[in-house]
Formats: sequence, C-alpha cells, structure tokens
Amino acid sequence: MLIDGIYLDGKTSKRHNARLEVINDHKLTRIHLTEQQQSLSFEFNQCNIESRLGNTPREIAFTDAQLFITDNNDDIDTFSHWQSSEKKDNKSFLYRLENNIPLISVFTIATIILLYSAIVYGIPSAAKMIAHNAPNFTSDKFFSSLDILDTTVFEPSELSSIKQQEIRALAAPYLAQHPDLQAKLEFRSGMQANALALPNGVIVFTDDFVKLAQSNEQLLAVLFHELGHLKHKHMTQRVLQDAMITLMVVFITGDVETFDLITGLPTLILDMAHSRGFELEADNYALQQLNQHNIPLQNFATIMQNLENYYHENDDENSSKLTDYLSTHPTTEQRVKLVEQFKTQP
Amino acid sequence: MTPEIPNSASAVESVQTPPKTSILNFEFRGDGMEYFKIWIVNILLTIVTLGIYSAWAKVRNNRYFYSNLYLDDANFRYLADPITILKGRIIAIIALVAYYVASIFAPVIAVIIAIVLLFAIPYFINQSVAFTNRMSAYKNIQFRFKGSYGEAFMVIYIWPLIGVLTMGILYPLAILKANEYFVRNSSYGTTKFDFKATYKDYGMIFLTMLGIAFAIGIPMAILTYLIPALSMISPVVLFAVYFGLFVYFMVSMTNVFYASLSLVEHKFDAKLTVTGQTKVILINLFFTIITLGLYLPAAKVRMTKYICSCITMHAQGSLETFTAAEKENISALGEEFGQVFDFA
Repeated sequence: MLIDGIYLDGKTSKRHNARLEVINDHKLTRIHLTEQQQSLSFEFNQCNIESRLGNTPREIAFTDAQLFITDNNDDIDTFSHWQSSEKKDNKSFLYRLENNIPLISVFTIATIILLYSAIVYGIPSAAKMIAHNAPNFTSDKFFSSLDILDTTVFEPSELSSIKQQEIRALAAPYLAQHPDLQAKLEFRSGMQANALALPNGVIVFTDDFVKLAQSNEQLLAVLFHELGHLKHKHMTQRVLQDAMITLMVVFITGDVETFDLITGLPTLILDMAHSRGFELEADNYALQQLNQHNIPLQNFATIMQNLENYYHENDDENSSKLTDYLSTHPTTEQRVKLVEQFKTQP
Repeated sequence: MTPEIPNSASAVESVQTPPKTSILNFEFRGDGMEYFKIWIVNILLTIVTLGIYSAWAKVRNNRYFYSNLYLDDANFRYLADPITILKGRIIAIIALVAYYVASIFAPVIAVIIAIVLLFAIPYFINQSVAFTNRMSAYKNIQFRFKGSYGEAFMVIYIWPLIGVLTMGILYPLAILKANEYFVRNSSYGTTKFDFKATYKDYGMIFLTMLGIAFAIGIPMAILTYLIPALSMISPVVLFAVYFGLFVYFMVSMTNVFYASLSLVEHKFDAKLTVTGQTKVILINLFFTIITLGLYLPAAKVRMTKYICSCITMHAQGSLETFTAAEKENISALGEEFGQVFDFA
C-alpha cells in the first residue's frame, strides 16, 4: 500500500513530499522522499499513529520526532488496523462514535437529561449530604462573617439596651431548645429591614426590622425562619453547590475561559431557584415551630406582608416588579398561601 | 544535536538573496457540526466517568482546534498526553480539598497556604505557559517558553499594582509589560519571538474608550435630566455603549498584539473590526440562547474562524529553515494548577 503525504525530519521545519509504503507482510514501513530519491525504513514498533479526529490531517510519529502527515485518513486506518491486528483496534473508536449520527442524537438527549438532573437533583442533594455530615462546619472558626459584615455594611444598633435585652430574653428559651445550632442573637443597623442567619449560628436582626415588627410573636416567627436556615445548614449548602457547579462546568468545557457571560448565566438563575427552595424550607420550619409553641401562624403571614409593604414603599413601582420576578425569595403571595396550606393540615 | 544541522542564527543569515515578502493568511478549517459531535461525546463520557475522561476530552478539543489551524498550508498540532493532564488534575483537586479541609479545621494553616500560594503563582504561570508552548507544534517544530520567576512576579503583581496606584495612567504599561514578558520568552524551536509595542499603542486604546464613554455618557445624562421620559431607554443605550466598548477593547488589544509581534524578520498583522466581531458575538449569543447552549461548540468555531481570518503573517522568504529546540520535560502540574485556580 502507498500513501502520499508530507515528511518532516524532526529537526527543521522543512517539509518533504513523501510516500509511505507498507511492505514485508506489514512488518516494515518505508518512507520514500520523492525529491531526494531517498528512502527510510522503520519497524512497526517504531511508529505511533495518532487517533483519528474529524477531518484533521493524520500524523504518524516515528523515532527521533520524525513525522509523516497525510490527509488520507482511510488508508491510515487500514494501516493502523494491520499494526494492531493482535491488540484491539481503538485508534478510531472515538472517531466512529463521533460519526454515528443516531448515536450522537441519543448522546445529545442523554447529556441534556444527565446535566439537568445533576444540576437540579444531584448537586443539591450531594451538597445537602455533605453539609449535614461534615463535622464542625458551623464552628466559630469557619466564616467569621459577622466581623466582615461589621466592617463593611453594618453599624452598631441604635436600639436601647432595654429593648435589646427584652428581645434576647424573649428568644432565649427557644434558642436554648436547639443547643446544637449554637444560635446567638445580635442587633445591627446600617441595612434596611432584614434578618439573616450566618453559618456560625449568629442571627442578626436589623433595627428597621425590629421597629417593623408589631408584636413579639412576629419577631419569633422570623426568628424561627432564621433558625430553619441554620437547622438545614443552607449557607454551607449554597457554598458547596456553587463550588460544585463551577467545577462541573470547568470540567465539561475543559477550561475556565469558556465560563464566560454565556455559560455564567444559567448558574446564576439556578442559584436563585435553589435559594427560593431554601427560603421555602425555612418557612416550613418556622411554621412548624410556631405550631409547636402554640403561636398563631397568622403572625408569620403578617410580618411577611409588612416586610413587603416596607420594601414597596422604599422602591419605585417598576423596579420592584422586576425584582419580584427575579427575587431570591418566594413572593409574599406564595408565603401567605403556604401559611394557609399549613393551617389546613391536621 | 547533529552537527550538520545549522542553528537558527546561521540559518537566517544563510538567506543571501533579498527575501521576497509573502503574505500568508491564518485559516481555521474547522466545522461547527463536526466539532459539535466531538464536543457532545466529550461531555457525555466526562459525565459517565465522573470527570476522569475530562483529560482526554481536553486533548481532543485542543487537537481539533490546533489541527484545523493552517498557515502556509500546514497545520498546527497539539501534543499533550491525556495521562499527564489527568495526573495534574488529580494533584490539583487533592490540593484544593486539602486547602478546604485546612480552612475548616486549622484556619491559620489555610492562611499560610494562601500566602505561599500567592508567591507560588508566578512559578505556576511560568510552568503553565511552558507546558502549553511545548505541547504546541507547527511543521513538526515545538514552541518553547523560558520565563524567570522575578520577571513573572513583576508583570503579575508589581506592574498592575503600579497601574492601579497611578489611577490607571500606567495601567496600559502593565499590559504592555505582561505581553512583552510572555512573547519575548517564547520561541518557535530555537527562534525567539519579539514584541515591540509602545506605551502609546496601548494608551490610545484606553483613551479612546474614555473619550467615547464621556462623549455619549454626559449628553445622555443631561438629556435624561431634562427629559425624564428618556430614563426608560437610557439603560438600553448605556448597555449598548458598554457592549460596544467591550468589543472595541477586545478587537484593539488583539490588533495591537499582532502588530507588535515578530519572529526574526517575519512580521504579523491583525485586522479585526468592531463590526465584524460584534456580528459574530451577536449571532453566537442568539443561537446559543435559543438552543439552550447546544450551539456553544459551533459558536466557538465561528469565533475562531473569524479571528483567524483577520490575522496574517508577512513572511520574508522561506518558513522552512526553523530548527527544533532541545528536548525538555515539563510537568502538566503547573498548567493544571493554573486551570483549577483560574489564573491561567
């Protein structure tokens, strides 16, 4: 068999027109240099045939970086087949896979389903499992995020120490019921009405939020909601999820460069979707706790309604519609509905 | 190694007759559909092997893009061995997990690791570039990179810092120094690349961007102030300007880079245009969104095709006299560290 191509000697960039010949019962390969009237001989075990890839030229590397290049992929496949007659021929296995149209269609659908389930079910459950089983994840050492927030967003609370003391006393018996969460209540200002739970167990109420709550029961409803975040280790789960999704995308696309605007978008949307799930989980926990302590569930609905009204007053009409749509939190409507559902449960 | 092969310097001098200039076009011969098939097989095999196949996938991806890139009717090659890349990835992941565990149980150790890493980054970047260059070949001659830690430290940390401290006035110089460092330490076989750009080349890009931003931003702000109804469309206009400036930046950076690049007497030139590049980005964005990402491989092919079609080489005489460099071994670890920590 004769295959036309180009020969390079591995020392210079000079290209020689050449013809590859396989002789002596496929045991010997000979390269004829057309212009030099010269030929080189190689044993079979001295050559390494590159696997086939699309329509790209095929390379056969010989000892000392000598190279033969040809576009004649089919003949090289035959040649490769002779070479590895005893061994399994895997040189063009991937090529055959990549050119089997029905198989590619199946692969495409399988990949979409796999990716979808990995992102929607696999990664969240893995994050959940790791978050609940990793020891010490919520220790004080990990994330001293309150310090960071104190230097960036928060200002000291302007609530009177009596008021603070009152709320602490109100919360204390409930926090004491969950010693494993190491929950601690703090007051800060410098942010709008908000309550947040940090992974090390610190629950922060902002001054505006405390002023917004009309009763102790409403404060407790939100306290339970934040306890729910701690109980389910939502913050840890979120950090883990983000890391896993990034890692997955990097592995699939093969480099970080592709992880740009286009690919970055879906993770952002997913992040928000998951975050809504977390909020609903915390809501459910809050409602359970309220029920358990015989506090009317209506308090939860009321404080949520108050928060919404508060944000509506501070925002203008257009932007709040958009933020509602893209919000990380469930809409108040959803939450009130949840309360209704919960009430009807036995 | 063999005495009868002339080294690059004498090879260059041996061209006695006045070399004739020939304009050679870079050309990407890949095909979107063909690459899609390779890409989807890569993804599926990567998922079912829980990431192990990703090293093979990377090699196949890179081989497709290198082998389809032609200059003077000869193609480039990507030579990396998937096993080397897999080893690098495993080590990088172990290091990453170790770092996370340390940050949970012993934050002090984590801080120390972070500081050590900060100083190790220039070394890893050198390793990474050296590996990538060594794994790239054209006409059976490998590229090379030989950087120094000190210079790498300067272009990665000190020059950008000076750029920021001077309120951005010297930032163009930081970009210039970085390009100069990476290009001048790269070689094609034994032949070194050169990079000749001036502060003005890069400074003009930033100045033009500032000028456009002010020329549109200020009248826009005044108009919106006078006619409040305009506040509905002003974010759209501002986004369009932002996008336009972003494309302008990409395009002019590439153009200046190739105009400054040379390989002995051979020069390069790039003529990307803002309209051409914008067209490619918008088409890619549109199809990628309506196909939920399945168009991504074809988008990559289209982008590569466009950029390559704008780059030319002004060759003086023959490109057949380059000689290969000595054999050397570089670990894939540097490159893989670069990938995992996102600084490559």
